[in-house]
Amino acid sequence: MRPVAAASDPTKHFFQPIIVCLTMASVALTLFVIWISLHDLSLMRAGREKFVGLDNYIRFLGDPRAMAALWRSVLFTTLATVIEIALGLAVVLFLDRDFAMKRLVRTLLLVPIIMTPVVVGLTWRFLFDPATGMANYLLSLGGISLVDWLGSPQIALFSVLIADIWQWTPFVILLVMAALESAPTDPLNAARVDGAREWQVTWYVLLPMLRRALAIVALIRAIDSIKAFDLFYIMTRGGPALSTETLNYYGYIVAFTNFDISYALAIAIILTVFTNVALLTMYSVLFPKTGDR
Amino acid sequence: MGRRTLFYLGLVLLLLAVLFPLYWVIVTSFKTTRDAFAIPPVWLFSPTLDNYRTVFANRGFLSAFANSFIVSILSSALAVAVGSVAAYGLAQQPAELRRAREKFILSLRIAPALLFVIPMYYLATRIGALNKHWLLIAAYAFVNVPFAISLLITFFDDIPKELRDAARVDGAREFSIFWHVYLPAARGGIIATLILCVLFTWNEFFVALVLTGRDTQTLPVSITSFLTFQGIQWGALTAAATLIMLPMIVLGILVQGQVVRGMTLGSVKG
Repeated sequence: MRPVAAASDPTKHFFQPIIVCLTMASVALTLFVIWISLHDLSLMRAGREKFVGLDNYIRFLGDPRAMAALWRSVLFTTLATVIEIALGLAVVLFLDRDFAMKRLVRTLLLVPIIMTPVVVGLTWRFLFDPATGMANYLLSLGGISLVDWLGSPQIALFSVLIADIWQWTPFVILLVMAALESAPTDPLNAARVDGAREWQVTWYVLLPMLRRALAIVALIRAIDSIKAFDLFYIMTRGGPALSTETLNYYGYIVAFTNFDISYALAIAIILTVFTNVALLTMYSVLFPKTGDR
Repeated sequence: MGRRTLFYLGLVLLLLAVLFPLYWVIVTSFKTTRDAFAIPPVWLFSPTLDNYRTVFANRGFLSAFANSFIVSILSSALAVAVGSVAAYGLAQQPAELRRAREKFILSLRIAPALLFVIPMYYLATRIGALNKHWLLIAAYAFVNVPFAISLLITFFDDIPKELRDAARVDGAREFSIFWHVYLPAARGGIIATLILCVLFTWNEFFVALVLTGRDTQTLPVSITSFLTFQGIQWGALTAAATLIMLPMIVLGILVQGQVVRGMTLGSVKG
């Protein structure tokens, strides 16, 4: 039936052209990006670029605004990932029982995830309005003095963080919930039969079973928060006084406000390398060699 | 009484936290300006459609709606068409080859959008393509193809290998197996992939912000014009926001089982 061996496997023709195209596009793009970052290319005076070597990268090291932005990216990403995982896990454990309308709750949890991020930003900007917003109204009910959510340099970053947590904690919940439901229940019951208390079952049996799912969702959230853009653009535009400018946002400003695309790409490359190193470190911590995979 | 009541109380609080912001935006879109800014907030009011009239009278918004529609449908259809052919081939490959491809696709997710948007912008200004729909469609198709491939592979994997073997015994060519056996069998998964691509493209902001011109602005870019025009017109803004997000919430709920699956593979989020 199969006269021709795998050497001319026709199914290869289905994916090779596309993979080759994607690879070539990626390689060409990478080379072009590196080429631009080694030159002094500005959109203000196109066609008069000159080779500057590593100047753009050296400039980064001596640029306090870039360093502050990098630190803010790290802070935002760490807080967002840790809080979303902790909160999401807490909700999953809380919902881990049979109750009426569980399916409906799951559907409703989907809503923030699929909501247009720009609309999420507008929504929270609306709620955080200092004079007429809901957040300050609730505070005033509790007799707490009003907060300038997006106007204060000490607070604005955390206000954006709240919006990010609101949008993405449900994602953690749904993903971990699915892992929990596909996990075997026998070990849990065995531990209970052996007389373990409920918190011991959760801590020593259930959490280790969820470790893989939690690690994956932590990686995804870390990757996406370090690149977060929409909420910052809509809610604060990096302000006030640059207090919410992350490195990704600074790169955008350099490219499309200052039109200094060489420096912007150097920033983007540094951000990519930094992200990769951070993720590899995170990966080796989350998946030690002896563990599963 | 006791634990059970406490549980349902917690559940209500959770749902309130998740849904209240959405509820408040939608409700505000039906309020008059006076009601929208009343302190304490007005919970019961006589609804008005004035904000929606303002939005529909805005020609920029209407053309952005058309742009978003055209760009997300075309780029997603293109990505799914190309992606399903590639996914069919990859699904027949040994595991280690596929894992290498998947790593490559995941690495595309790590790169910030800035990295590919800047060179595209630069080239587009050079050839004068900034205000063209095809530029945006091509950009989104490029981002959606790897996503479509990796999601479609998981659907093709669900199809029993016996179907393919049986067709081969009957002498069917690979392409006709793909066309007559796999495509019909994975129809649900293909539609889900298409819907997810449309959803991500419709919601995407960063690429659109950079690569659109006056005539090609998509909805997320267009709505930001309400932000700077004579301060913030919250009434019209909430109406526009409602119109932008509602179709995606409906689509997302239609394919709800696949949304989390899709998002763990990699998405076009900037």
